[in-house]
Amino acid sequence: MVKFTVEELRRIMDKKNNIRNMSVIAHVDHGKSTLTDSLVAAAGIIAQEVAGDVRMTDTRADEAERGITIKSTGISLFYEMSDESLKLYKGERDGNEYLINLIDSPGHVDFSSEVTAALRITDGALVVVDCIEGVCVQTETVLRQALGERIRPVLTVNKMDRCFLELQVEGEEAYQTFSRVIENANVIMATYEDTLLGDVQVYPEKGTVAFSAGLHGWAFTLSSFAKMYASKFGVDESKMMERLWGENFFDPATKKWTNKSTGSATCKRGFVQFCYEPIKQIINTCMNDQKDKLWPMLQKLGVVMKADEKDLMGKALMKRVMQTWLPASNALLEMMIYHLPSPSKAQKYRVENLYEGPLDDVYATAIRNCDPEGPLMLYVSKMIPASDKGRFFAFGRVFSGRVATGMKVRIMGPNYVPGQKKDLYVKSVQRTVIWMGKKQESVEDVPCGNTVAMVGLDQFITKNATLTNEKEVDACPIRAMKFSVSPVVRVAVQCKVASDLPKLVEGLKRLAKSDPMVLCTIEESGEHIIAGAGELHLEICLKDLQEDFMGGAEIIVSPPVVSFRETVLEKSCRTVMSKSPNKHNRLYMEARPMEEGLAEAIDEGRIGPRDDPKVRSKILSEEFGWDKDLAKKIWCFGPETTGPNMVVDMCKGVQYLNEIKDSVVAGFQWASKEGALAEENMRGICFEVCDVVLHADAIHRGGGQVIPTARRVIYASQLTAKPRLLEPVYLVEIQAPENALGGIYGVLNQKRGHVFEEMQRPGTPLYNIKAYLPVIESFGFSSQLRAATSGQAFPQCVFDHWDMMTSDPLEVSSQANQLVLDIRKRKGLKEQMTPLSDFEDKL
Amino acid sequence: MDDDIDARYEVPRTAEFIRGRAYTRVALQFPDEMLRDAAAVARALRRELGGGDGGGVKLFVMADTAYNSCCVDEVGASHIDAQCVVHYGHACMSPTSNLPSFFVFGRTPLDTNVCGCSLLECSRESDKRILVLYGLEYAHALDDLKAVVAELYKSHSCGEVQYADVLCSVMSPSSAAEREQGQSNGSTHSNDLSIQSDGVATFVNNCCNVEGSTRKYSLGGLTWSTSIDDNMEDYLLYWIGQDNSAFVNIVLTFNKCDIVRYDTVANQPSRDVSHLMKILRRRYYLVEKAKDANIIGILVGTLGVAGYLHIIEQMKDLIKAAGKKSYTLVMGRPNSAKLANFPECEVFVYVSCAQTALLDSKDFLAPVITPFEAVLAFSRGREWTGEYLLDFKDLITTDKPEISSTTEEARFSFIKGGYVEDNCLEENEKQSETSLALAEVTEKALSIKNQNNDAVLYQGRAKSAIDYLKARSYRGLTGEYEGPAPDSVLTGRTGRAAGYNSEKTETTQ
Repeated sequence: MVKFTVEELRRIMDKKNNIRNMSVIAHVDHGKSTLTDSLVAAAGIIAQEVAGDVRMTDTRADEAERGITIKSTGISLFYEMSDESLKLYKGERDGNEYLINLIDSPGHVDFSSEVTAALRITDGALVVVDCIEGVCVQTETVLRQALGERIRPVLTVNKMDRCFLELQVEGEEAYQTFSRVIENANVIMATYEDTLLGDVQVYPEKGTVAFSAGLHGWAFTLSSFAKMYASKFGVDESKMMERLWGENFFDPATKKWTNKSTGSATCKRGFVQFCYEPIKQIINTCMNDQKDKLWPMLQKLGVVMKADEKDLMGKALMKRVMQTWLPASNALLEMMIYHLPSPSKAQKYRVENLYEGPLDDVYATAIRNCDPEGPLMLYVSKMIPASDKGRFFAFGRVFSGRVATGMKVRIMGPNYVPGQKKDLYVKSVQRTVIWMGKKQESVEDVPCGNTVAMVGLDQFITKNATLTNEKEVDACPIRAMKFSVSPVVRVAVQCKVASDLPKLVEGLKRLAKSDPMVLCTIEESGEHIIAGAGELHLEICLKDLQEDFMGGAEIIVSPPVVSFRETVLEKSCRTVMSKSPNKHNRLYMEARPMEEGLAEAIDEGRIGPRDDPKVRSKILSEEFGWDKDLAKKIWCFGPETTGPNMVVDMCKGVQYLNEIKDSVVAGFQWASKEGALAEENMRGICFEVCDVVLHADAIHRGGGQVIPTARRVIYASQLTAKPRLLEPVYLVEIQAPENALGGIYGVLNQKRGHVFEEMQRPGTPLYNIKAYLPVIESFGFSSQLRAATSGQAFPQCVFDHWDMMTSDPLEVSSQANQLVLDIRKRKGLKEQMTPLSDFEDKL
Repeated sequence: MDDDIDARYEVPRTAEFIRGRAYTRVALQFPDEMLRDAAAVARALRRELGGGDGGGVKLFVMADTAYNSCCVDEVGASHIDAQCVVHYGHACMSPTSNLPSFFVFGRTPLDTNVCGCSLLECSRESDKRILVLYGLEYAHALDDLKAVVAELYKSHSCGEVQYADVLCSVMSPSSAAEREQGQSNGSTHSNDLSIQSDGVATFVNNCCNVEGSTRKYSLGGLTWSTSIDDNMEDYLLYWIGQDNSAFVNIVLTFNKCDIVRYDTVANQPSRDVSHLMKILRRRYYLVEKAKDANIIGILVGTLGVAGYLHIIEQMKDLIKAAGKKSYTLVMGRPNSAKLANFPECEVFVYVSCAQTALLDSKDFLAPVITPFEAVLAFSRGREWTGEYLLDFKDLITTDKPEISSTTEEARFSFIKGGYVEDNCLEENEKQSETSLALAEVTEKALSIKNQNNDAVLYQGRAKSAIDYLKARSYRGLTGEYEGPAPDSVLTGRTGRAAGYNSEKTETTQ
C-alpha cells in the first residue's frame, strides 16, 4: 500500500523549499486526529476506505479507548502536486514533490504541554474548528501559543457533515455560521499579531480557510471550486475565489453577480450557490440512493467511480463519492503547501525567538538561512518511548546543518551555561529515524528543516536539549519552551513492596522523560512526588508509570495534594529583631506585601536579578510606585534566586553591612523556600532590612552567626505582618446547553467556585461559562459535573492565579489554620507552628 | 547510701578490675545525668581499693565530653595520662583505639514479671521466633527475666525465645582491633558471596559474622547468633528499654523485621515504630540531596572510635572519585551556627559512633549524613535498597573504590527532577598533575568571568570553596573607597552586647 519509499522521502528532505512542518491544533474533540488520518491516507499508508476510523496518530491503546489524543505524534507525508495546481504558486520551489512533516497534538488542556512541544518544531499550524461549536477555550490557548512561537496558522472549519446530515442547515444560515467562526478566530489572531510574521488572519477568499469533514474524508477550499468554475465563467481563478465568499451574489436567472442580494428567489450568495448547494445536492442524492440521478451529476463534475464502488448504498456511497470528488488531502495539503511557510522561509523570522545567543553569530546565521552545510543546530522537543522497554527516541527538529547516524553531538541540557561544563555531554547518535505514525524508518542522515528521531541519546536528555556538532563549543542553546500550563497537582507515590523501590525510581525517571510537563521529585520527608497539570494528566501519568515503566509493580498513590504559598496581608506591625546565637549581632526587619502585579511581573521574568538595575528601577518606579533609589537597593530575589519575594536594604550608614549581605541572602533563600506557617514557598513578600548591629570582630559576625539569624528574623517579620495562605485557582471554562446551567452552578457553588462570565455563543444554543475554581476543590470536579448535567458539560481547567485565603492561619481552628496543620502533619513537621517568640528576641 | 552506690555503680567489680590489671591512673567518665554521684562513686571506689590514698591508684573524674557521653573520651583521658577509662552510664560500645576501658552500665529497675508476661503474649501472637534485645542498663535483670519466662513457658507451650548477650564489659584496644580484623575478613567473604550471586555489590549487614554454621551478630554491645539458614526477618525482635539511640540503631539496621518495644516506664509493649520509619524515609531524601552536592564537608565527630581515621580517608577518596571536593572539619559537637560558618558545603558527612550518627535538624543549612549514606550517595550504581547501617566500622574496606565506567547513563536527580551531570573527574586530575596548575587556574579565572554569582552562592553551582568565595559580593577591604568622604570621628557604643549603654537608657525611658 505504501505509495512512497524511504528513499523518495529522504531525497525530498534536501529540498528545503519543498518541506512543510506543521502541527494540527484545536480544542478537544474538534476532530484533529480524524482529519489527520485522511491526510495520511493520501500519503498512502492507510487505505482510503477506512480513513476516518483508524486514528493513525493515536498510537496508544488508551488513546484509542478514550477517543482522545494524549501524546503528540509526528508523521511524515509525501505529496506530489500537479503542474496544474502549482501554477499559481509564487514562492520558491524545487519540483512538484512535497514533504509534509505533520504533528498531531492533543486537544485536552491537561496535555497542552504536548502542543507546546509540537509547535516548537513546526512552522505552520492547521487550526481545526468545529463548525457548530466554534472557537473554544483551547482553540484560543493554542492559537496564542502558536503565534507566540511565530507559527503561521491556516484554518479549517471541520465537521461539515454535521451541517448536511444532522442539522440540515440551509445555505445562508450555514454561511453565517462559518463566517462567524472564521471571524472569531481572526479576532484572536489579530490580538497576538506580530510585525515580523505579518498578517496572520485567515480569509476563505485567499484560500487560507478550508471546509472539511474529517470523518468522511472530504474537504474543499474555495480554490477547489474556483478552479471548477473559472473556465465556465471565463474569469481567472483568483477572481472567482473572491466571488465565492463575502457579499457576492449570483442570480442564475439573470446570470449577473451583484454585491447585494437582489431579493429575487433565485439570487443567492456565491458561496451558497456554487459550493454549499452542489455538495448538499450530491449528499442528499447519495443518501436517498437516487443512483439514476447521481451518475449523470458525477459525470458532469468529472468524478469517475470504480465499478465495485457503484454498488455501495447510503452513507457508504456518500462517503465514497465525496472522497472521490473532494478528497480532503488535496484541499488541505494544497492549502498547506500554498500558505504555510517552508523551513527556509520560516526560520528567517523565527531565529530571534529560537536562538539564545547573539543573533549575528555563525549559528544564528545558519538557522536563519536554514543552511544544510552550516553547523548542526537541533532542538529536541520531546522524548518518545520506544518499543523496547525503557528506551526513548529523542524527537526534534534540525534547524541547521545535518544530523547523521554515528555522529558525535554536543548535548546542551536546559541548565547549560555557555562556557561551563554543567549539563553538557558529548555522545554519538546511534541511529537517525524518521517518524511515520506507528512505524519508524531508519535513514542515513537528516538535513535541516526536518523533524527527526534519534536513538542513543535518551540517557542524557530528560525532556529537551539543544544538539550541535562536537566541535562547536561556542554555540548557545536554543531557547527553552514556555508552557502555558504548570504542574500544580501533586500526588505522592510509594511502592507496595518496599523492595520495589529501585523499580519505582527507574519508573519515575522514565516517566519524567516521557512527558514534557510532568515533574518527578522527592519531598523532604522522603516521599516521591509526581506533579502534573490536572487530574486527567496525573491519571495518565500514573497509569504509564505502573504499567509501562515499572513492569506492573504495584504502587500506592496518595490523594492529590496541592501546594500552597505563604504571603502577608499588611506591613509588619512593628520592626522585629533577632539576635545571633552569640548575641553580639542583631538584625531588624519588616515584611510587607508586594504591590499588586509585582509578583506576576517577577514570575514572567519582566523583573529579575539579571536586569540592568536602571531598567529595573524604571519599571518599579513607573509601574509600581517605588522610590527610584530604593529600587536600586534590592539585595536579592528568592527562593531559587529568581522567586517572587525580595530583600530590600533600608538601613542607613551601617558599618560592615556589605560583609553580611551574602549571609543574609543565604538565610533569605532558605527561609523563602520554607515559610514559617507550613514550610510552603513564600510569595509576594518584600522584606526590608531596617537596621543591623554587628560585632566589631569579623569572626563574630560570620555566616554561622548571621545566616540562622537572618532566617529567624525573616520568619518573625512574616508572622508579624498578618501571614496568609495563597491557594492556586483554576480558570474553568465550560460549554453547555441552557438546561445544564443549573447543574453547573450547583456544582460550582458546592466547590467554592464562582462564575464571572456567562455568555451565549452567537448562533448556537450553547452557553460559555467562565469561572474560578480552587485547585484543591477540582478533584472529581469533571465527573461531578458530568453527573449533574447528564454528561452535557465538559470543563477545561487551567491554572490561572494564586488567591489569598481570607481566614487567618494564626487563629486557632480557622479554615486556614486547619489547612496549615494538615500540611504540617503531611510533611511530618512539628504539629504546632513555631511561635513568634522563638524567632523574635528582646533587647 | 554507700551500699546503694556500691551496688548501682558496681564499685567492687570495678575495683577488682583496676587491681587486677594494676592500673595506677584511672579516669572515671560520667555522663551529665550521673554527674551528681561522681564524687560519691570516686570516694567509694577509693575506699574499696584500700585506704585513704586508694592503694596508690589515682582516680580522675571526667565530665562534659567533647562529642558524646556514650563513647569513651580517649582524648580527655590522655590529658591526664590515664591508663584506663571507667565509663559509666549508657554506652554505644564502639571499640576504642588506644585505651582499655571498663563499662558500668548502671542498673535500671525492671519489672520482670510484667515484662515476661508481655513477652509471652507476643510469642503467642506471632508465629516467628523471638529474639530479646535490651538496653544495656537492663542487662542486670536478664537472668531474672529468663527465669520468669522459663517458669511461664512451663505452663504455656509457645515458640522459642532467644536472648542476646552483653558483649563484654571490658574493652581493650587490641581485642577491638582483632575483632575488627576478623570482621573485615568476614565481610569481604560475604561480599564475595553476594557478588557471585547477583553480580551487584550489595551491603551485607556486616555486624553479622559467619562462623561455621551460625551467623554471629553484634550490635551496640549486644551479641547473638542464629543458624546460617535463618534471616533476621524470621525473628520478632523484642526490645526492652527506652526509645533511645540504641533502639533507633536496632530498628534502622533491622528495618524489615517485626519489632516490639517493651516500654520500661509505662510497663507495656508498643509496636509503633512509624516515627523511626519516617526517619528512614527522611534519610533516603538526604541521600538523594547529597547526590547533588559538589562540595562536601567531612565532620569529625569522634576522636576515639577505632578506625575513625581510616574512614575519614576512605570518605575523602570516595568523594574525590565522585569528582567532588571535600573539606575535613573538626568542630566538636556540631550545631547550626557552627555548620553555617561553612555555607559553601552543601552536605556534611558526620563520622561518629553509631549511636550519635543520626544528626538531623530543621536548623541545619545543609544536611548531615552518615558515612554509609555517603557511600550510597557518592558511588554510582549503588542504590537505596532499604538496607541500612549506622556503624561505620562495617564500611571500612581495604580496596580503593572503583571508578565507574564512563558509558553509564547521566545521573537523574530527584531534587531537580532531571538529569544532572557531576563534574567530570578527569579534568580535576589533570590539573593536579601539571606543574602549571596554578597558572592555569588563574588563567581561567581571568577568562571566564562568573556571570551568575547568585547561582554559585545559593544554588550549589560552586565546584570548590574558592569558587564560592570568589562569587561573594563582599571581597574584603579593597583599598579604593568609593563612598562619600568619611565622617568625622564619633564616639562609639559602650557597654555590653546584650544591650549597650545608650540602648539601655532608651528602653528605660
